[in-house]
Amino acid sequence: MTNTESEFEGIHLLKGNYAAAYAARAANVQVVTAFPITPQTLVVEKISELVDSGKMNCEFIRMESEHSVMTGLIGASIAGARTFTGTSGQGLLYMSEPVHWAAGTRLPIVMSIASRGIAPPWNIWADFSDVITQRDSGWLIQLTATHQEIYDSILMAYKISEDPDVMLPSMVAYGGFILSHTSKPVDMPPQAEIDAFLPQIPDQGWEHIFLDAERPMMHGALIMPGDFYQEFRMKIQLAQIRAKDKIKQVSKKFGEKFGRYYGNGLFEEYNSSDAEYIIINCGEIAKQMEIAVDSLRKEGYKVGMIRLRTYRPFPSSELVQAVKHAKIVGVVDRATAFGSPTGGPISTDVRAALQDDPNTRNLTVVPFINGIGGRDVLPEEQRGQFETLFHVLDKGTYPKTKDLMDKTYWTGTIDRRDS
Amino acid sequence: MSVAVQTKDIINVVIHGRGGQGAITASNLLCECAFRAGFKDVLDIPKIGAERRGAPIQGFVRLSRDKEIKLYSGVRNADYTLIFDYTLLDIPSVVKSLSGIILLNAPEFMNLDCIDPSFEVWIVDATGISVKNKLMISGFPILNTLILGAFAKMTGIYSLDIIKDVYKARFGKNWEKNFLSAKEAYESVKKVGRKI
Repeated sequence: MTNTESEFEGIHLLKGNYAAAYAARAANVQVVTAFPITPQTLVVEKISELVDSGKMNCEFIRMESEHSVMTGLIGASIAGARTFTGTSGQGLLYMSEPVHWAAGTRLPIVMSIASRGIAPPWNIWADFSDVITQRDSGWLIQLTATHQEIYDSILMAYKISEDPDVMLPSMVAYGGFILSHTSKPVDMPPQAEIDAFLPQIPDQGWEHIFLDAERPMMHGALIMPGDFYQEFRMKIQLAQIRAKDKIKQVSKKFGEKFGRYYGNGLFEEYNSSDAEYIIINCGEIAKQMEIAVDSLRKEGYKVGMIRLRTYRPFPSSELVQAVKHAKIVGVVDRATAFGSPTGGPISTDVRAALQDDPNTRNLTVVPFINGIGGRDVLPEEQRGQFETLFHVLDKGTYPKTKDLMDKTYWTGTIDRRDS
Repeated sequence: MSVAVQTKDIINVVIHGRGGQGAITASNLLCECAFRAGFKDVLDIPKIGAERRGAPIQGFVRLSRDKEIKLYSGVRNADYTLIFDYTLLDIPSVVKSLSGIILLNAPEFMNLDCIDPSFEVWIVDATGISVKNKLMISGFPILNTLILGAFAKMTGIYSLDIIKDVYKARFGKNWEKNFLSAKEAYESVKKVGRKI
C-alpha cells in the first residue's frame, strides 16, 4: 500500500528480494553486476527493470557467471564506484575466489544473499550454510530476520563498509523463500533523509586504492614472504575488530534517524537480561522464537533469546556480557559446519567465545541445528528447544531423542519409522 | 464473518490451486487488500518448489490487525481455506488438511460429499464468470481476481472499493475487467446448505 505517491517512499508490501533491490536504489549504487540464481534472481531482475524504465540511475551489467559478477564489482569498486549485487547458494560458492579478493583489496562492496541450502541434493530453500562457507573471507556478515531489516541493513552496510577504519565488503543475508519470496510491509524513508544518512561517495576514489592516470599505482601484485603479506592480513583482522564499534554506532544513528533499532547492531536481546535460560538464534526463525519465549515467560519460566545479527565480526566479548548471568545457554544454527566440534558454525563460535571469560567458562552450551534446506521450524519445536535446556540443567543429562546426535540436537529430524 | 474469527488477533488463510491459476498472486493481492483495509501487518507465504502448469500448489496468508506477525512457518489450522480448482478435492492430502471455512471455485451443482458435513462451505463459479467475460490469459481463465471478490463477500475483511483501488494500482488498464468480474463473483458467491 502507498502512503505517498512514490513507489520508493512510505510503506509498501515488498518481497524480501524487492526490499533488497529498493535499498540498493536508495543507496544510489552506481554499478550493479548480475547473474541469475534462485532464490536471489528477483533482486537483480527488479534492478534491471528499474534501470530500464529510468527509475534507477546505475550501470547494470549482465555477466556470464557469478565469478565474473564479483570480479566486475571489484573493477568498478577500485574505480571508486558504489557497487551492489545479489547471489545465493551455489552462486556464492562459484564466486568464492573473487569474494576473498574483494576483502583483501579492502573494497566496500555490498552484496545481498538470499541464502539457500548447498547441493547435493539440489536445494533452493533457506539455509545459511552458503554464507558460512565465506565466513573467513574477511567480509562483514549480517544475518537479517525481517523484510524491513533487509532494507535497513543494506543501507547501514554501506555506511559501515565505507568507513575509513573498516573498508571491508558486507554481505546482508536472509532466508531464501521464507523472506526472499514472502511479502510484508516495508517502510522506506524519504530519499533526502537516506542521502543525508549515507556517506558521500568520494570523487577521486577510495583513499587507499583508485584508478587514475594522473596518480598511477600498482595493486594486486605478487608479494614475497618477507614482505608485508602477514601485516596486510593483520590489518584485515584489525578492521574486523574495529567494525564492531562502527556497527554499534551506525545502528544507533540509524535508530535515532529512522526510529528503527536492531538491538546494539551486533545482536538483539529478547527478555534475556534477567533470563536463566538463554538461546542464541538467528534469522527469521529467531523472530519466530519470540513466540515461544512469550508463552514460556507466561508460565513463569525465566527464558530469553538473543538474535545474532552480526556473524562476522563475531561479537565475542559482547555475547559474554549478555549471557554471563544465565544458568545454561542454547545455540540454534540454521546451517551446518561439518566436522566442527558441534556440527553447527555459530554454536562452535559461541563455545569458543564463552571460554574466554571466567564468568562464562563453565556454562553448558547446548547446540541445536534446525530448518536446514528450508525445513519448516514449528513454534512448538522451538519451545521444545527451551525444554531441552530445562532438562539438561535439572538432570545433568542430555535427553535422548531421535534428534540427538553426539550432543547436538538436529531439531525436527524425520524419524525413519514415520517416513 | 463469524464472531470467533472477527476477534482473532491473526487470521490464517490457506490457498490451494494449480500452477498457472494465479493462487500465488492471489495470496499477495489478498495481503494488499487487507493492508489497505487497515490490517497492521500482513504476510504471504507462497510454497514454492519446482512448479509446472497444473501441478497442485499452496499459498499461505496471515493477516494481523494490530500485532507484528512473527510466525513464518506454514499455516496448519486455517480460518479460511480457498480452493481454486475442485479437482484438487480428488487428492486425499488436500481433503485431509481442510480447515476453517471453505471457499470453493466450482459449478453450483457440485457434489460436496468428500467434504465433511461439519465444514461451512461457500461456492463461487469463478471459472464460469471468467470464461463468460473472456477474462483469459493464454487460453486459461483468470481466477484469482474473482475469488478475492467472493472472499470479500464471505469475510467482510475488505470492501469492493478496496479491491478497486488495489486492482487499479496493480493491473493498469486491465483493472476494470478484473474488477467487474470480481464484483460478479462478490454478488454470486453462496453459502451452501449442508445436509448433516
